[in-house]
Amino acid sequence: MTGLAAPPLALQRGILGAVLLIACWEGLARGLHLPAYVLPAVSDILATIWSKRALLGNAAGYTLLEALVGYAAGSLIGAGLAVAITLVPALRAVILPAATAINSVPVVGYSPLILLWFGIGVASKVVMVAMTVSFTVFLSMLAGLDRVDRRAVDLMRSFGSGRFSTLWRLRLPTALPLLLAGMRVSTVRSVIVAIVTEMLGAYGGLGWVIYQAVLQIDFVQVWSAIFVASAASLAFFGLVGFLERKILFWT
Amino acid sequence: MASPAEHTMAARRKPNGLTILLHKSARLLVGLAILSLVWEGAVQLLGIKPSYLPRLSMILMGMAATPRAYVDGFVRTLAETLIGFVTGGTFGVLTGIVFFRMRALKEMVLPIFVVSQTIPVIAFGALVVLWFGNTLLAKAVIAFYLTFFPVTVNTLLGLETVDPKQVALMRSFGASKWQLLVRLQLPTALPQIFVALRLACSLSLVGAIVGEWFGDTTGLGVLLLQAMFTENVVAIWGALLASALLGTTFYAVVAAAERRLVFWSAEQ
Amino acid sequence: MSIFMPSRRHAVAVLAAVAVAASSLTAAAPAAAADLTKASLRLKWLPQAQFAGFYVAVAKGYYKAEGIDLTINPGGPNLLAENLVATGADTFGLSGGTDSVFAARDKGLPIVCIGVSHQITPFIFVTRKDGPVKTLQDFKGKTVTTWFTGANHVLNGMLAKEGIKPEDVNIQPQQVSVTPFVEGNVDVITATYYNEFYSIQSRMPRDGLKTFVAEDYGITFPRDTLIVAETTAKDKPELVKAFLRASLKGWKDAFTDPKGAVDTVMAVAPTLDRAQQEFMLTEVKRLMTAGKAGDNGLFWIDLDAVKTAHDFFLKYGVISKPVDLSTAYDASFIASIPLSDRRP
Repeated sequence: MTGLAAPPLALQRGILGAVLLIACWEGLARGLHLPAYVLPAVSDILATIWSKRALLGNAAGYTLLEALVGYAAGSLIGAGLAVAITLVPALRAVILPAATAINSVPVVGYSPLILLWFGIGVASKVVMVAMTVSFTVFLSMLAGLDRVDRRAVDLMRSFGSGRFSTLWRLRLPTALPLLLAGMRVSTVRSVIVAIVTEMLGAYGGLGWVIYQAVLQIDFVQVWSAIFVASAASLAFFGLVGFLERKILFWT
Repeated sequence: MASPAEHTMAARRKPNGLTILLHKSARLLVGLAILSLVWEGAVQLLGIKPSYLPRLSMILMGMAATPRAYVDGFVRTLAETLIGFVTGGTFGVLTGIVFFRMRALKEMVLPIFVVSQTIPVIAFGALVVLWFGNTLLAKAVIAFYLTFFPVTVNTLLGLETVDPKQVALMRSFGASKWQLLVRLQLPTALPQIFVALRLACSLSLVGAIVGEWFGDTTGLGVLLLQAMFTENVVAIWGALLASALLGTTFYAVVAAAERRLVFWSAEQ
Repeated sequence: MSIFMPSRRHAVAVLAAVAVAASSLTAAAPAAAADLTKASLRLKWLPQAQFAGFYVAVAKGYYKAEGIDLTINPGGPNLLAENLVATGADTFGLSGGTDSVFAARDKGLPIVCIGVSHQITPFIFVTRKDGPVKTLQDFKGKTVTTWFTGANHVLNGMLAKEGIKPEDVNIQPQQVSVTPFVEGNVDVITATYYNEFYSIQSRMPRDGLKTFVAEDYGITFPRDTLIVAETTAKDKPELVKAFLRASLKGWKDAFTDPKGAVDTVMAVAPTLDRAQQEFMLTEVKRLMTAGKAGDNGLFWIDLDAVKTAHDFFLKYGVISKPVDLSTAYDASFIASIPLSDRRP
């Protein structure tokens, strides 16, 4: 069947919601003549995003780099720890309480410590993101690995499958959906944690731009950076979701 | 019909709530004691510099030297966390119900909620403080902002898992929409709601701490920031320990509530 | 199938208990007496001896005696006092300095400066005496760290006067710690007399350091400016004067009893280092009693110094257009207070 089908109703309604929100915002800002430091108009913000696109683009790249590297590192560490526990069950009693204890402090609480240890360069942001992501991925992966059917494991053992083989052929594929769900959830948090850490000290990035903009009383710039940050998070989320669908389709 | 002897034996086998609590507390205390010893020992043995990881005893002494700051900070942060948690949780459940009932509204507004969560809270915080000043309200708004979304999503998810056959059955008994909601749908959704509430514990604490970084006078987040800018690593660790205590206790309370409520409703 | 009702009642009961607990924990402080005006002072940074006088005035009830119920709100890394005073989130502000006041007025924020605390530039640029930087010209190509909250304008202005463009110098945001400078990774560091300079001297001998002082290059940047919103200045002049009177009392007490003042500050921020705070107060006293303050008392607005700084910033492009100094700076409030009360 050829021809353009109308976009699904949900999408139409979603767009309508967004449009209404923007219209209200613009109306409020312009109608009440709100000063920029209270609420700038959406049109001004969009105009600034365009005119400062080089600056914001660079900053977004800087932040996304920190988020991506931290995300990759955190995912590896989290998944690695979960696999370690599955291969060596004795480790569970050590790793799980330690991880829970470390994570009972909200991750942002660690940023002062990490900034003092690693300075205000990229390293501190990568560490913060890695910490955030690793815990979520660790828990998701562990839940995924744990929910394997005991009987399936026994069946494989009866065929002489060793621990590694069981892991590779049975547990990992079973854990994949939960792992990927955890990784999907972590994407947005990566960008946010990177920005939060940047605002306490950085050489560049969206958080740094926001920090500068607040001090230079340029609130349109603050909102522009916020919009760009939002878009970057959604793009990252979309990318990982896309990859996830591809991988799940494959397996 | 069991004999009295069998009843007594069954009763003795089943541990009562108090014994369970004592067992758990004992295990917890032993665990903490071991952790403390390991901490002290490791730092001494491995010669870790105090600027990285001070000895636990040093941290505790530092906290004991200025107890009021930590106690006041703990209480203040707890208050902000609670308010954010309660308002965020309530708003989350209410919007979940509304979205469940009115599909059109859900499709219009939920995407906006999703996008709102991509806004870095700390940037948002700078604006919130401008609008609301240095008030408890401002901090609670930030905590609320972080808390409501997972609760909305999970309430919606939970409500959607209700068995349509049960709905039909209740309808056949003449149950109104309100009764349907309160007696069937919400209780069924409760486990899922609690999953989100447990997550919301830590989120509202994050909101409270970050909110305090915007020029608050008291609070664990304030202590954290002050310690950072005076490079007082011992004090940073003190604030972190206090935050860990707050986070863990709060989580335990919510998890305990979950066990009681969800246990009850699962008893059907 | 029957849904066991207590679950809902339980849920409601638990929620209600939590709500009650939350509200009791946040029970409002006993209502202030009806004749006290609520006001707040936003500082430019986290609590430290730099602001001792204000904390002393609160502790000794001077503001209450003048009819003000004052809350002191600390500043921090992401806050700008000008913004908060402009939106009404705070009544008074102790903001960055004459530079930030110019910048705020330039951007249209309706704030007015009612007093200047530090009469001379409170920070200097520090380098190793045996290092490669001997004159301002040597800044070219070196790593210089500074704060982008006002000190960077001073740096850019000083360099511009020497014909050096900021791009020729590797200017970086300054970290919390002075370690990068001490370890030699940074060539020139910006240091306030009362804070970083102390930290540096505790790790390096004073005679191993070379300093660049703005005053040596013919410019002064008064800092730590007291600001209020235009509407406050217009509608509540008595409140402004009362605030200044009480603040002056607090600061005079802080100077005569520095140990007590540091005690007050340490009570607010217990994780501070006492020795450093005492040093800080001594330096702050020097800055606050320098220049015209010697004759005219604390918080005096030296309009000549302000005008020179303004022209400097205008010339080197830090502000885009001239600022009307008569509306931006209002010395009438501080002048209305008797000289004997203003002199420390």
